[in-house]
Amino acid sequence: MLRKITFWYGQLLTWLLAASVAILIFPVSLQIFSRYTALIPSYIWTEEMARFFFIWSIMLGAMVGIREGTHFMVDLWPPLQGRARSALRLVAAVFVLVFALVFLWWGIDFTRFAFNRISELAELPLWYIHLPWPLAGVTWVLFLGEQMWDDLKVLATG
Amino acid sequence: MIGATVLDPGTASMIMFGVFFALLALRVPVAFALGLACLPIFIIEERLTPQNLVQETFNAYNSFILLAVPFFLLTANLMNVGGITTRLVRLSRDLVGHFPGGLAQVNVVLSLFFAGISGSSTADAASQSKIFIEAQRKEGYHDSFSVAITAVSAVLAVIVPPSILMIVWGGLLTVSIGGLFLAGIVPGVLIALVQMGTVHVYAKLRNYPTYPRATLVETIKAIGVAIPALMTPVIIIGGKIFGWFTATESACIAVLYAAALTMLVYREMDWKGLHHALLETGRLTGVALFCVGTASAFGWLLAYYQIPKALLENVVTWGMGPIATGFFIAGVFLVVGCILDAIPAIVIVGTVLEPLAKSVGLDPIHFAMIGIVSLAFGLVTPPYGLCLMIAAHIAGMRVVDALKDVFIMLIPMFGVLALVIMWPQLVLFLPRLFPPGTL
Repeated sequence: MLRKITFWYGQLLTWLLAASVAILIFPVSLQIFSRYTALIPSYIWTEEMARFFFIWSIMLGAMVGIREGTHFMVDLWPPLQGRARSALRLVAAVFVLVFALVFLWWGIDFTRFAFNRISELAELPLWYIHLPWPLAGVTWVLFLGEQMWDDLKVLATG
Repeated sequence: MIGATVLDPGTASMIMFGVFFALLALRVPVAFALGLACLPIFIIEERLTPQNLVQETFNAYNSFILLAVPFFLLTANLMNVGGITTRLVRLSRDLVGHFPGGLAQVNVVLSLFFAGISGSSTADAASQSKIFIEAQRKEGYHDSFSVAITAVSAVLAVIVPPSILMIVWGGLLTVSIGGLFLAGIVPGVLIALVQMGTVHVYAKLRNYPTYPRATLVETIKAIGVAIPALMTPVIIIGGKIFGWFTATESACIAVLYAAALTMLVYREMDWKGLHHALLETGRLTGVALFCVGTASAFGWLLAYYQIPKALLENVVTWGMGPIATGFFIAGVFLVVGCILDAIPAIVIVGTVLEPLAKSVGLDPIHFAMIGIVSLAFGLVTPPYGLCLMIAAHIAGMRVVDALKDVFIMLIPMFGVLALVIMWPQLVLFLPRLFPPGTL
């Protein structure tokens, strides 16, 4: 059951990721073309909107990266199997978990700070773009928990 | 700020670098290791809290300049799924396929074309590994050679304009990005030429196969088909230099142009391909730029303790001239490039070395090119050589097994780097054709 949830949540995140990348093109194109034609008014919020979606796409990508195990790492170990592999993965996962909790704990404060503030140009609520930090924290805890559970099982059963 | 801190700079830097390297050894991802290395300091220092980690990563991403990264990745992905790459392969083959080691020569020349359109070496390494490694294996090339040449030719993407590294460098250290674009052309072409020379020697020694020479008509036809794609660098670089759009906007133009080509001219794009291109872009953007955020926090802490300044005061007393300083800078970037990704390396080291470069009178563009070329080489040097890791992964072999050939191929490339250091005109003459202030 829980596994189904993490699976669909992972799917949802990848869709949002692809969508946020696609949306990025829109404000920047608008910004360029509005400069050269009188047909499109030059909006002042294009740059800000681009940054908003950019922040979301980085953080969504970083969330998906933990699920898919694609964050770059330096591999100095010989190829490991079975228990040794799981043990090493668990050690690394504990540290990433600490990082996730930092993002969750201080990310909540970070988002709460921004509750009453709005952006300079488009006057959007700022917490919209602070939210990815605690969200990343929760998401990582969820995905890491799943992976650590699997590794613990390997460790226990061999 | 010194005096008001709990830790002295020496202890602080020892904690930071100690934790960072220990975590790397435990296979904690680089981005997370950088952030965790800052954590003890944020807790110990009274004036700082882990909130600073959140804030500094936020500040790093809240940047219009870095936005060029996903755009260039997307351009590359659109080229691959939309048939632009296939047409460029065809053209490269007609141009250099009849040289010894034909397919490997095509590999290098395609990287050069690709470099002129996309600004991302990782995208280049990923797509060309898929095209060439299997094909070269079938034609009897050794695997380690195939992996090595694919990886080292991929570094052209960040040396030849447009380049993500140039945009980041220019934005961070306020150097003219248009000027950097122009400065990269000559070293890029030189590196491609020495790589073709290396392939030539390998092919002669090992009897690698070659293709029959293409007829003039075939070549002209291939050029005709590829011309719309080859116009991309002209539009991007021209647009930047003449001030039609900013660096980030030029990357967006590249996306729009590539999308228009694949949908309207070559007509090979479907919804599935588009979704795939967008998702791949998002994935790579996420992991690559997340690392920039934590590296920025790391760099911010180093600056907080004024550690770079302390290190540099020492170096300045050595009394090096411009050329010796150039080699020193290249050495530092080469070493750092082995363990860090290029963008975080610019964030942390580029800002540190800038005053040194200034003190001996290196031109900012010259300094930037030394740094960028050195960092580009770092993309194929272990333990953290992203292009090499990607190529080896796709070939299904260990990185160590390709190292010998990589280092052989790097030797002539180091020659080009030395030339860039000793002969500033090599990179400076193109930007200097434009009157100051126009770039």
